[in-house]
Amino acid sequence: MHARIEHLLSIRDDEPVAAEVAEHVRECPICSAELQRLGALREEMRALPPIDSPEIDWERIRETAPERNHGIRLRKLGLAAAAVAAVTLTVITVVAGHFDRRRAPASGLAKVEAPLPQIVPRVAELVAQSQQLEELLQKLPERPRIERVSTAATLDTIEQRIQWLDFQLSNAPETDLTEEQSRQLWRERVELMDSLVKVRYAEAGALWF
Amino acid sequence: MSHFQGIEVAAEVVRAAQAGEPRAHEAIYRACRRPIYTLIRRLVVRTAIADELFQETFVEVLRNIGAYTGEGAFGGWVRSIAVSKCLMYLRSPWHRSLLYLDSDDESTAPVVLLDGASHPDAQALASADVERALAMLPALTRSVVWLHDVEGYTHAEIGRLLGRTASFSKSQLARAHARMRELLEQPAGSTSCTHVSSTC
Repeated sequence: MHARIEHLLSIRDDEPVAAEVAEHVRECPICSAELQRLGALREEMRALPPIDSPEIDWERIRETAPERNHGIRLRKLGLAAAAVAAVTLTVITVVAGHFDRRRAPASGLAKVEAPLPQIVPRVAELVAQSQQLEELLQKLPERPRIERVSTAATLDTIEQRIQWLDFQLSNAPETDLTEEQSRQLWRERVELMDSLVKVRYAEAGALWF
Repeated sequence: MSHFQGIEVAAEVVRAAQAGEPRAHEAIYRACRRPIYTLIRRLVVRTAIADELFQETFVEVLRNIGAYTGEGAFGGWVRSIAVSKCLMYLRSPWHRSLLYLDSDDESTAPVVLLDGASHPDAQALASADVERALAMLPALTRSVVWLHDVEGYTHAEIGRLLGRTASFSKSQLARAHARMRELLEQPAGSTSCTHVSSTC
């Protein structure tokens, strides 16, 4: 039985694999050759020549940046902020209600004399929620080619905000982010993804009816 | 974060750009455009869309250059913005719908990007095969293999960028290599001459 490609890639990338797999690959000429091929292919990809950029007018880029900053962007931000605020309120209400129900006794006669403890979701839970929302988003129909300017602007701004969060999450290694910072970023991502799904869902619903 | 070769911007140029100096902005654009465009074209095959993402990347760089703290290479920071733009595009159903509008554009087909005249024959042929195989992978799979094997991103980083897990990235990498092996074993003429439906 030869090593699977996952194992060979792990060996190529100096990641840990089971000792018996590593030993087999060392001794098996077929697996060794495959390992060598994978390494060579990586080198070939790295050696591919660069591609010349198009002749985009630099002035156009320079003029676009401040334009987006001061003009349309403010309006977009206003619309997005309104959407995010509305959806955030909904999310908080739903989440609080969910935990409230979980904590209530079976009889349903809950005594709420003591204040509810603050619910702090773990980062892993937020990542999982974010992934679920991504999957939900993928299942929604494509955006129409013609849509309301306000909807397009809202969606565009939410997507940009998510993009910026992704950039922050990926640009800072985990060691540089405290647990709390990481949680805040992921929480914000979940809220924005939730907004995105809701706006997209509403847009799709408007087309159906 | 991983390495990013090919971009060298002096710290004083970055500082001048942060202060709003137009010539510094342009110097950054000139220094970054080739490696950034190459990266974008590797992730997004369609020329028209890659051009748009390229422009958007530099608009984003200019708008957010004040947020660059000086930690890590400036080239890596610019690259992160480009990667983020590309992956956002690849994940977005809205942008995928643009493929339909693009379908008459010959430049959107997966093409051999090499300039054959500038390379010795055997090397150019081998590179063309690799380019062809890469272009025929599904978009996200291609992104994973490129980000991991060439750009040096870890599986954890890729998983996070895609809103998935490190395991997802690993499985995509294995799938990509299995598919590339099949494609590289086929002669170039045996593949379809039509557009590749799953690529972007």
